[in-house]
Amino acid sequence: MSAIVDLILGVVTSIGGFVEVGSISTAAQAGSEFGFQLLWAIAAAGLMLAMLVEMSGRLAAVSRRSLAASVRERFGIHFQAVPLTAELLIDLLLLAAEIGGAAIAIKLLTGIGFQWWILPIGLCIWLVLWTCGFAAIEHGIGLFGLVTLSFVLAAWRLHPSPLDLGAGFVPSLPGHDAVRYAFLAVSILGATVSPYLLNFYSSGAVEEEMSEKELWVNRTTAYLGTAFGSVVSMGVLVTSAMVLQPRQIVVDSYEQAALMFVPAFGRWAITLFALALGIGCFGAAVELTINAGYVAAQVFGWSWGANKPRRDAARFTTAFTLVLLMSLAIAVIGFDPLRLTMISVALTVVVMPLLVLPFLVLMNDPKYVKDHTSGAIGNGFLAVLTIVGALLAIAVIPLEIMGG
Amino acid sequence: MRARFSSLVSATLIVALAGCSRQDERLRQHRKHFESLGATTAAIGEAWLAGSVSGTYTLTALDQTFRLVEQEQTALASKPNTLIDPRGAALSQAAEKLLRLLARLTEDVRSGDAGALRGHLAEIPIKPSESH
Repeated sequence: MSAIVDLILGVVTSIGGFVEVGSISTAAQAGSEFGFQLLWAIAAAGLMLAMLVEMSGRLAAVSRRSLAASVRERFGIHFQAVPLTAELLIDLLLLAAEIGGAAIAIKLLTGIGFQWWILPIGLCIWLVLWTCGFAAIEHGIGLFGLVTLSFVLAAWRLHPSPLDLGAGFVPSLPGHDAVRYAFLAVSILGATVSPYLLNFYSSGAVEEEMSEKELWVNRTTAYLGTAFGSVVSMGVLVTSAMVLQPRQIVVDSYEQAALMFVPAFGRWAITLFALALGIGCFGAAVELTINAGYVAAQVFGWSWGANKPRRDAARFTTAFTLVLLMSLAIAVIGFDPLRLTMISVALTVVVMPLLVLPFLVLMNDPKYVKDHTSGAIGNGFLAVLTIVGALLAIAVIPLEIMGG
Repeated sequence: MRARFSSLVSATLIVALAGCSRQDERLRQHRKHFESLGATTAAIGEAWLAGSVSGTYTLTALDQTFRLVEQEQTALASKPNTLIDPRGAALSQAAEKLLRLLARLTEDVRSGDAGALRGHLAEIPIKPSESH
């Protein structure tokens, strides 16, 4: 019975916690510029995320170690220095973008400049992390995040053609702006498969003491939660494609993106959009912050855990506090949150091989996962998608920057 | 000698054509963004007139659109060649008009003057064409 409750709660919180600044901005831009044509990218990225999340849970349940701790142990600190630095840098940028996204959400409701909200939001994130345990953080964020289902409801109310939707799942070349199309496909991959999610999930599994007996719960939660979560991202893309593309509005700001809700929700449009954006970003910011603490503590062998009294994990607390402060500094400088998001998610794909390939090696090492090693098809799919994605990102990011 | 001359002419033509197509592409991108911002202005104004969005959001969104037009105009002016081109010069003028119009629309919303706003929305200088 408890496993069933865990499963339902896990799936629901996965849905609620799926959409954040990266998925909203990439899907909104993709929809406004290419209609349904990039739905396949969300589906492919969702499948990749589901496989990786399932693997990180399996690793934690069988080895009782998190991803970062396992990589540290298997490959040594000298090897891990590079992926660790890359992940922390990306997390810093992404955290700044999430805080910026939450601040813009409040700006949409109050009209007060987003920079004024950066520090109060930072303080709220820190207070949540100071006072809440892992379950409260994960489930609280996920349950509040269910407001993001409004993207699915909006798409439903707009009655998209099933045939057109189906065509979007077949990869096809665009009739215009091929570089931009490739950049958005790469960005969708980076926004969906955020590296922090993997270590956050495996650390959570260690904190919640997931055992080998619960591997089926892990598998079902990973695949169902990610599948439903991807549907929310697709809701953003479909709504944007149906409302903004016909008017030829290209999403350059969240204020423009908010207009996508007007035909579906009328007077409630901006409030719902702001809540979805704000809660999604705030939740992701909390997870990113605590994950920075997890990674630092696990790599350097410090005591860690959201469920531990803070005085028993002082260096873990200091690490996430420092990362939060650095991200607040980046956000306060006044970078455009939307551009910061697009840069961070595209860079994520560039560094992805550094993070995913060692993970694949671990998942084929019986010392860590006993007889629960990954299959050849899964290994091949993840390795190919990671490497092709990174090569494509290396090619299109400079072109996009020069073009922009 | 003749072969060298024709190679030189071909190379010059290729470089000139590449330059032209880059310029064309740059102008097309600027035009696309200005048209999008014109369409955004119309959508914000119409949503306010329909009572779908609050004055707070409308002012915030118009202000952000103003900033984006300014940024795009600066980007357009950053390449002198673009401004020499008549299409670039026309875009720059349209952007200037759009900025002034956005300022008027902001005033209309502040004063709650729906009639004036409706009139000003009809004057948006750059909007997406049907041919796209």
